[in-house]
Amino acid sequence: MSRLEIISPEGLRVDGRRPLELRRVNSRTAVLSQADGSAYIEQGNTKCLAAVYGPREPTKRAALLHDRALINVEYSVASFSSGERKQKLRRDRRLMEIASTIKRTFENVILTTTFPRSEIDIYLQVLQIDGGALHTAINAATLALVDAGIPMTDYVCACSAGYVNNQAILDLNYLEESAEIPTLTVALLPKSGKITMLGLESRLHLDKLEPVIQLASDGCKQLKENIDATIRESTKSLAKTILQ
Amino acid sequence: MDASVVSAAQMPDYGDDMAVDNESDDGNTHIVTPGEVVTRDTAFMRGHGTYTEDDALVASMAGVVDRVNKLISVRPLRTRYNGEIGDVVVGRITEVGPRRWKVDINARQDAVLLLSSVNLPGGVQRRKTESDELQMRSFFGEGDMLSAEVQAFFQDGAASLHTRSIKYGKLRNGSLVIVPSALVKRTKSHFATLPCGVDVILGLNGYIWVAKHVAISPEIVNQPDALYHNENEPISDAERQTIARVCSSIVALSRHNNFINDTMIVYTFEASMGHPVKDMLKPDICQQIVLAARAQFREASLQ
Amino acid sequence: MLRNKAFIRKTKRGTIVKVVKEHYLRDDIYCGVAGCKLCVEQNVVLTSPRTSKTVNTPHFLVPDTNVLYHQIDVIEHKAFTDVVVLQTVLEELRHRSFPVYNRVRSLISDPARRFYVFSNEHNRETYIEKQKDETPNDRNDRAIRAATRWYNEHVGGRWTFVLVTDDADNRKKAQAEGLTTFSVRQYVASMTDHPELVDMVAAVDEEHVDEEDKFSYPEHLSVSQMSAGLRSGAFLQGKLSISSNNFLEGSIFAEVDKEEKTVMIVGREHLNRGIHGDVVAVQLLPRSEWRAPVGVILEEEEVENGDDEPVNAEDSMARAEDRMNVDEAAKETVPTGKIVGIIKRNWRPYCGTIDKSSVRSSSGLSTQQMVFFWAMDKKIPKIRIRTRQAEKLVGRRIVVAIDGWAKNARYPSGHYIRTLGDVGEQATETEVVLLEHDVPFAPFSPQVLSFLPPEGDSWIVRNEHLEGREDFRHLDVCSIDPPGCTDIDDALHCRSLPNGNFEVGVHIADVSHFVKPENAMDLEARRRGTTVYLVNKRIDMLPGLLGTNLCSLRSNVDRLAFSCIWEMTQNADVVNVRYTKSVIRSKASLTYDEAQARLDDATLTDPVTMGIKGLNRLAKQLRARRMEAGALTLASPEIRFKLEEDQQDPVDVEMKELKETNALVEEFMLLANIWVATKIYSAFPESSMLRRHPKPPTSNFEALIKAVGELGITLDVQTSKTLADSLDKAVVPREPYINKLIRIMTTRCMMQAVYFCSGTISEPDFWHYGLATRIYTHFTSPIRRYSDLVVHRLLAVAIGYEKNYSSELIDKVKLKELCDVLNYRHRMAQQASRSSVELFTNLFFKDKVIKEEGYVVRVMKNGFSVLIPKYGIEGYVYSTREESADGGASSPFTYDRDSNRLVAMNATIKLFSKVVVVVNVEEAGGAARRSKLTLRLVEPNIPGLSVNESEIKSGKELLEMEKNGIGRPNKKSKTERAR
Repeated sequence: MSRLEIISPEGLRVDGRRPLELRRVNSRTAVLSQADGSAYIEQGNTKCLAAVYGPREPTKRAALLHDRALINVEYSVASFSSGERKQKLRRDRRLMEIASTIKRTFENVILTTTFPRSEIDIYLQVLQIDGGALHTAINAATLALVDAGIPMTDYVCACSAGYVNNQAILDLNYLEESAEIPTLTVALLPKSGKITMLGLESRLHLDKLEPVIQLASDGCKQLKENIDATIRESTKSLAKTILQ
Repeated sequence: MDASVVSAAQMPDYGDDMAVDNESDDGNTHIVTPGEVVTRDTAFMRGHGTYTEDDALVASMAGVVDRVNKLISVRPLRTRYNGEIGDVVVGRITEVGPRRWKVDINARQDAVLLLSSVNLPGGVQRRKTESDELQMRSFFGEGDMLSAEVQAFFQDGAASLHTRSIKYGKLRNGSLVIVPSALVKRTKSHFATLPCGVDVILGLNGYIWVAKHVAISPEIVNQPDALYHNENEPISDAERQTIARVCSSIVALSRHNNFINDTMIVYTFEASMGHPVKDMLKPDICQQIVLAARAQFREASLQ
Repeated sequence: MLRNKAFIRKTKRGTIVKVVKEHYLRDDIYCGVAGCKLCVEQNVVLTSPRTSKTVNTPHFLVPDTNVLYHQIDVIEHKAFTDVVVLQTVLEELRHRSFPVYNRVRSLISDPARRFYVFSNEHNRETYIEKQKDETPNDRNDRAIRAATRWYNEHVGGRWTFVLVTDDADNRKKAQAEGLTTFSVRQYVASMTDHPELVDMVAAVDEEHVDEEDKFSYPEHLSVSQMSAGLRSGAFLQGKLSISSNNFLEGSIFAEVDKEEKTVMIVGREHLNRGIHGDVVAVQLLPRSEWRAPVGVILEEEEVENGDDEPVNAEDSMARAEDRMNVDEAAKETVPTGKIVGIIKRNWRPYCGTIDKSSVRSSSGLSTQQMVFFWAMDKKIPKIRIRTRQAEKLVGRRIVVAIDGWAKNARYPSGHYIRTLGDVGEQATETEVVLLEHDVPFAPFSPQVLSFLPPEGDSWIVRNEHLEGREDFRHLDVCSIDPPGCTDIDDALHCRSLPNGNFEVGVHIADVSHFVKPENAMDLEARRRGTTVYLVNKRIDMLPGLLGTNLCSLRSNVDRLAFSCIWEMTQNADVVNVRYTKSVIRSKASLTYDEAQARLDDATLTDPVTMGIKGLNRLAKQLRARRMEAGALTLASPEIRFKLEEDQQDPVDVEMKELKETNALVEEFMLLANIWVATKIYSAFPESSMLRRHPKPPTSNFEALIKAVGELGITLDVQTSKTLADSLDKAVVPREPYINKLIRIMTTRCMMQAVYFCSGTISEPDFWHYGLATRIYTHFTSPIRRYSDLVVHRLLAVAIGYEKNYSSELIDKVKLKELCDVLNYRHRMAQQASRSSVELFTNLFFKDKVIKEEGYVVRVMKNGFSVLIPKYGIEGYVYSTREESADGGASSPFTYDRDSNRLVAMNATIKLFSKVVVVVNVEEAGGAARRSKLTLRLVEPNIPGLSVNESEIKSGKELLEMEKNGIGRPNKKSKTERAR
């Protein structure tokens, strides 16, 4: 029939949020005992698990870098993550592209030069998708990296924003993403406000780019508070037991 | 740029407080997270886990702030092993190379054990010959466990180990437990023989070797095969059980992020005696055991 | 700030997928009531509670979904104000009917009506969980009650919130919960200030006392049964279209045996309450019951006129259906089916008249009675409405909406909406034409007009306008248009260049300079889509100031233009082309005749005339080249009315005539359109607005090829080129008109040309069949077509004139939607024009009896269609003299199916036969739905059918008799509306 009403004239979105609101965020660190660092995050119904190994001896000698650590990202989406079960392709180009995007996002932030000839592996597993899988994965990776004690200049916080009905909206869910709304994902360093990743796969008018980036950045900063709280909480409880 | 000004302004400036103690706000540990400004006082030197940006000392990790004189560093609570010279470590051979072994010691790179840094059968001062180079695998093969000491560091941060002591060398008769390296404290001795008749080597890298106690005689050095053979001694079922219980005790401690030393292991071991080994790691029992051990530890330290 | 307190997973099980949605409940959903102390109000809407006799306290209304859905006409009445619209209700409404939803939305946006939307589904206190075993409907009803209760508690008894619902069960439950509640009828009854509202209440689920037991349609299947059937392939889905000849014959397009085919649905029972336009589920009948298309004309009115009693109706129905059954010998059957369920109703308000015979005049004035309503549209069955003002409505055009069609009711029931005026009155009938074709014709709102240049009439081209524009004011530009044209879109110039080539310029009014995207004027123009031309009226797309003045390229004033300039060789080869915004000053506004005169006068050598002559030379070459490529010259029997000055009544009819200069202008417009299309497509491959004309399937021509074959003419329809060539050859020496006739009929076989977005279709499909060009668009008439305006904007960006453009311009999806709207508007505008012509044809023939020559264009079993070239009208001549229901029994003709001709003793009627008929109008009055043209055969003289001279003379008297309703004259024929 008609297209979905993304924002009602009353200013509410399909799930009851207002345009500038994030979804509920829930995160935890140290969820896996084997990994050096791990984290689990829920942004709305999008759920992601991250495991970080390293820095450690590179598994492939050939890829070794003499002046800094090698970062390796593997991004995968569980076959049960979306409404319809999908057969997973072993080497899905799309997933590999996302993985390389995430890798480049973190390369600038992790102080890789402190670990020459080492390798840092980041494994991301998206358990459930309800829009914004990429930015959720980035946030999960940040949490896991911090949990693994890997030095970074700052957090990396990511968030998406879209533009519809002459209005920018924050943190799109699946319904909104699939309504052909141009969706922009921003990853930034909340302290400096520097953007490390900017992804947009549909057309968005240049005039609208600025407000959308601005909104996504604001979202990132809000998320930073959340991530920071989680990290502080876990560090504090670790400190309590270890440093007694 | 606006953002950075704001966030910097929001951060409490520890410039003055820091001079006093690393235990700031009402006695709690001073915890920082990545990107947080630790101090703007330029008098401090930056140590591990920090970097400088615009004259500010900024944390690059989440952890507690350590201050040693003018040196400020951030110590992450969960991280890979960062070796120091003199550390006792437990490792596993991953590779046999020209005149060297690569040893996994849970650090950011594999450590190196040079052929020249091991005791060879047939005398401490024996010269290395070419035939030694050819039969390196007969000393340590891939997968062999060993204990060693950190001797030095290479330029790139890789550790160089040595086993030139009767204490170190190939490990047998036991089992490996891996815990976060932060849980193993530096103590006088990392070799302990527990009252239950089990040897424990607490590697500072978080690798802990639990084995049947075997007396070491100094002359072993001179017995050609004694150092590097791969045969376990006969181990009785009771001994196996005890080893398993010690292993589980260590795992239980690490699950609760408790530091690990010989005393603590003994306390835990004792607290676990009421439960069969296979049940020890069930969450409730595990917690109960650790709490009991902690209580005992506190009692002991009060005395 | 995230304010969600709890979140609920809504699990919706579809076919396989499980959808999990978040649903945030908030604390910041406010009540909208004035003076509320509990809410931090942002938007106070509910300021003045209603008063009524039946509710003690001042109150507000809370309608449920069904009330808004069925009674929207009542709710739209200005007396309904201060209403709380719940989100639950809005969402349900959206699912059920988007048009109704939009109407409610426009009420909400009107501040005077004080409709407030309360998002109860997201309010923490009014959200309710679906209970186990509760249907969604019950759950929503409960949600509505919960919200109403919340409101009542929230305002603390100061005011009452009244639940308005027509569901008796719901009312009972609400009363049990202590809520005040009414049905619409109850509530409206208390609104004594507006007695007319009672008539407007839709009859939903009300018992039909009459004619039950006697008649019953098969039950419709439930939604789930239908979707199961559709999925399994047992049913077919399609949009029902009722034949314009036969109200008991409908069809859908659906896939049968892996092929798109027409599925016929014949007879009242099989149609099973389907109304033209509905999306229906159809079950195929066994192959043995398939039928051939029935070649008869059947009008409902005819069959049932005067049948008040259901028993009779039954009889005549049976007769009617019999008449359709005679055709047993049919060989070629087509898939035939029956409707088993309605997937989506597509009702709209219908214009029409009350059936006079159904009005009981004896009854008192204010009592309500059931009357029948005839819609103008022959495809719509008659509708029963209840009214108190039946007598007042007789002989008036009124608007009626359908409410429902119960299975034991022969006809759908509906309700009265409003009166347009007297039948036959020109203004009323014109409004009917506009309404029936969904043409927005309200005057431009002040908001729209506010975007006109503030200088108004005195706006002039000033220096700041020159920026980025080329100054062509020195060029000898002129415009050529039909006489009386005030909205001049285009102007031309042509001059020789020193190198012997020509510079040719097409200058188009720069409407996009005045109409900026997304402002109210733009949105209004987009809604209208096109200017609609009626015989006596023009419904402008843009306000008159722009259309006929500031944009119109009138002579001797400076005007902004968008120009397309070519350099051409003597042979009309384009050497160079450029597009630019410009300023021009037209030297002359010529009519076609004036331009023609200049062309013909060899003595004139002024620059304008020389320009026209140059253009004409080039145009001829261009045209020849186009014809070579296979462009078609088609024809339609178009006529012009000469209107009496004051009364606007038609006094004469003349054929539209084409002169050389028409072709000249057309040629350059085509050229401009093609070049502009190429340019914008290269700049916006994904989002250009283009126009294509698909190749018609060969099957469209089958009947025609067969028919012309008898004249010894062959049509080759392989390509447009071969078709054009064979059309040129299709000449019968004695009958010069035959060629035109064949062209007219070929035109009817064509597909519609449509706008489309370039990104949605692959390039080979861009082909424009009629013009034989690989790409085409509309650029040259921005004053009267919105598509051209869009193309102007695209071109302005493409040439770098416009640096900032809105994202709308490159939004493929939005552009596609826009194309759909424009195509619809375009089609409607064409149909409205045609209806208007028909209306005036009827007015013209009123009180006239005219004998005229005509040609047979279609032969059917019980009659034939005749086209009268002089008036461009087409009408049907029945083959039986008596208007009898027994069908062909008394016909002097026998129908020869194989050769498709009617044979009588002394004459044969076949396609393209020349006949003489008399034409007169059967006036629409009381009972009749609409005025009708009737044709009666004069020659060939066939005993028992043809009328003789004396009968023609007495035609006037017959007319009189008919008007007075004394008796039915020998009615032999009636027109089929030209479609």
